[in-house]
Amino acid sequence: MAEPVIETEGLTKSYGKRRGIVDVSLVVRRGEVFGFLGPNGAGKTTTIRTLLDLIRPTGGTARIFGLDSRRDSLEIRRRVGYLPGELALWERMTGAELLAFLGELRGDVDRRSIAELADRLECDLSVRIGSLSHGSKQKIALIQAFMHRPELLILDEPTVGLDPLMQEEFQRLVAEARAEGRTVFLSSHILREVERTCDRVGIIREGRLVAVEDIGDLRARELRVLDLRFARPVPASAFLGLPGIQEVEAQGDGIRLTVAGPLDAAVKAAARYEVVDLTSHEPALEEIFLRFYGGRDGA
Amino acid sequence: MARELPLRRTPLALRSIGGKVFHDQRRSLPWWLGGIAALVLSYASFWPSVRESGERFNEFVERAPGWIRDLIGSPDFATPEGYIRSELFALTLPILLLVYGIGLGARAIAGEEERGSLDLLLSTPVRRRRVVVERFAALAGGLLLLSATAWAAILVLGPPFDLRLDPGGVAATCLLASLLGLALGSVALAVGAASGRRTLAAGVAAAAALLSFLVHTFGSSVGWLRPLRWASPFHSYAAHDPLLEAFHPLDAAVLAGIALVALAVAVVAFDRRDVGVG
Repeated sequence: MAEPVIETEGLTKSYGKRRGIVDVSLVVRRGEVFGFLGPNGAGKTTTIRTLLDLIRPTGGTARIFGLDSRRDSLEIRRRVGYLPGELALWERMTGAELLAFLGELRGDVDRRSIAELADRLECDLSVRIGSLSHGSKQKIALIQAFMHRPELLILDEPTVGLDPLMQEEFQRLVAEARAEGRTVFLSSHILREVERTCDRVGIIREGRLVAVEDIGDLRARELRVLDLRFARPVPASAFLGLPGIQEVEAQGDGIRLTVAGPLDAAVKAAARYEVVDLTSHEPALEEIFLRFYGGRDGA
Repeated sequence: MARELPLRRTPLALRSIGGKVFHDQRRSLPWWLGGIAALVLSYASFWPSVRESGERFNEFVERAPGWIRDLIGSPDFATPEGYIRSELFALTLPILLLVYGIGLGARAIAGEEERGSLDLLLSTPVRRRRVVVERFAALAGGLLLLSATAWAAILVLGPPFDLRLDPGGVAATCLLASLLGLALGSVALAVGAASGRRTLAAGVAAAAALLSFLVHTFGSSVGWLRPLRWASPFHSYAAHDPLLEAFHPLDAAVLAGIALVALAVAVVAFDRRDVGVG
């Protein structure tokens, strides 16, 4: 197994009344793309900012590249690319100026890699950042995280505001980083995004890491909500007890199914009747969490 | 092949954290400098007519109650030294430099933290203490630039109106004024670095400036205030007039000392605490 790049042990940050994180222990190995999944306010940003020594833990430790997150923060930050979650850039600068400035502070940035990233993300660097849309600012933030080709990328909600085409480009960037043996730690509150990008997922809820799973296992248990409308009302019993079906709700000529894993059995059962309409969607993250990882304490 | 970057070289101001302070001010700083020069020009242009009525004004002042003389700084409108002191050096220039210094000091850490961009800066391999020290250096540099502009304006724009002053004395006064701005600007820097709150930082420093002015002003006639004057930065600035007497290096040393103590507090306090988000 590859060596650990991020290793936290009992990492805790308490803020008095405001929720922080409690006892977060996780290991991310070299070459991995690790997703940190949780609803807003679950503690993702708190964990990430602790890794970068922007805030100090009240308990536990974090090691990155085997270095102590507090004592060796300077060396760690040299080797990390970071995209802040609550993005704030220097609005009066142009993108090119901002990247040049951060490049000076890092000291080892190849200008060609900035130009190449700007090209791939279709980002105009000659414009004042203050006049850019949120998505365009996000692109500049992505460029500064990737531009020095860091060993570890820590990305807090990296795709917020990106249009679908740019999200794909982002996924290619992550895939390339992985192919080069670099490590990516990214947070998200969107299950699909994590599924598309990551190898493993840590799930955080109310400040606690409630599970770490391979993406395959997560996918096998993936929840779908199927809304079916039939020409004539269909009894709920037609779906009860089928593999994967967790819940059946009948209402008039419609049926709502909650299905875990493959949809095959549900679709075949429905096909015996005259189907007028079928839509499939993903339940809210919070609902998935409640179902898989239990109630308030994640027990 | 990727297209060319819009910037061929990194501008000089963007090669350091302190330099960026001037890059951020590239639009406002010319107004500060031009404003100071314009102010000096207007005072110089009034000098010929003020001098004619100066004697009469001095007699009026001598008859005024002591506390009024304290407040208006016992002006002497009959000599160039007295005129420039009461018009420019008694209040106007120190206030300008205090506004600039306290504003910049409060923005240095706390302002950037409240805007949320401190995360980005501190995610690069720079120590927090380097951020504080470089911003302090920029604060000192900006204040020196402003007071050097006042110095140059007095020496260049004064003589056409027959306002002639000793360059060394003017330089010493300008230096003291920039050290006054630095002392209280550093207090704002320290409060901001410790608390992360810009308005608190600016408020504490402005209150300290006002208090220090009052202690200096009334300390000469109110007995119980007198011993407190040593602690007033404004007193260090104004106790001796290098235009008329010798420059006292101790005044400058006290002001520089306050600034350095505040800097040390800022470094230690900022290093120890959590950085806030947005």
